[in-house]
Amino acid sequence: MTDTTGYAAGPDYRTGADYTDANDVTADTDDTDDTAIRYAATPAVPLLPSRLDRGLLAVVRIGVALLWLQNVGWKTPPAFGRGDPPGGLYLSASYAVSHEVLRPYAWLMERYVLPNFTFFGWLVLIVEAALGAFLLIGLATRFWALVGIAETVAIALSVLNAPNEWYWSYLLMFLVHLALFATAAGRYAGLDGVLRPKWQESGSWAARVLVRLS
Amino acid sequence: MGRASVGAAVMNAYRPPNPYRSLDRAGIALGLVSILSAGFMFVDGAFQVIQIGAIGLVVALVLGLLAVAAGLLSEGALMLVSGLGFLLAASFQIAQLAGGSSGFLGGNASTFSLWLALGVGLIAIGMVPRPEAGEETPAAK
Repeated sequence: MTDTTGYAAGPDYRTGADYTDANDVTADTDDTDDTAIRYAATPAVPLLPSRLDRGLLAVVRIGVALLWLQNVGWKTPPAFGRGDPPGGLYLSASYAVSHEVLRPYAWLMERYVLPNFTFFGWLVLIVEAALGAFLLIGLATRFWALVGIAETVAIALSVLNAPNEWYWSYLLMFLVHLALFATAAGRYAGLDGVLRPKWQESGSWAARVLVRLS
Repeated sequence: MGRASVGAAVMNAYRPPNPYRSLDRAGIALGLVSILSAGFMFVDGAFQVIQIGAIGLVVALVLGLLAVAAGLLSEGALMLVSGLGFLLAASFQIAQLAGGSSGFLGGNASTFSLWLALGVGLIAIGMVPRPEAGEETPAAK
């Protein structure tokens, strides 16, 4: 039986024991006996027992982080492309109205977002910069994977019917964030893997929240 | 060599794992990322992940080296200093972008995002309480 973390439920997980070090590709590897003892002592089987699999998942997480990190670069304040002719983020957002995908979303964009674009431009910049940042270091990864899904849906609803768009791009973005969430990808070569055992030992509310988000 | 002496040798050779080693390694990794990011000063086009200017290059190298040193020395406080430095640099960068230019740091919103990552990461690692020198570590209990 597995719980929401993707690990088989076992006594060590519930007590917050330091089993994640055995999953962490950055963990100590020169003491193989120690690792063997940990595996023998814990009945829980890690989601990704192979070092190669953990490394590949870290590559996926970092690759997705770089996608956000690089693409936040063309969101240029303070105008965000608003002008004559429009460009950048404003032009992309305006496609939601000129090349409508979903009527209620187009109405929302036309009525509230485009007239107040400085605010929404900053919102997009901050959210996408944070997405790149937190996915890159693997901190609170499951939460940020969900934010990535929401952001992907928003982008897709804006530009899906725009000229020269390939709708599978957005579906792939959606799916890869889903995979990052499902695998709790920050636990592999990410700060979630390093800090989660400490959060589990701590009784503070912030630590409990971070355990949930990671 | 008798069994007792073999046992003693094994016991003496055993060192309890340092529970903070993974934190130190993470700090070193974040520092190395910053140092490597300086290379984007010489990259143009599709592979330019972040934009970096001359002063930004100095920030990336100095704070990156500080993070690497903090990890090598197991100094949580030094990681905090490095992390706060990155957050300060990120704040300056975003403030300059708000004014409509890259400013003296020469970066863009991607640079802000990277420095935000390094700042938050190093602060998260540096904030983990560590025992004072000579104090018993959790692994040694």
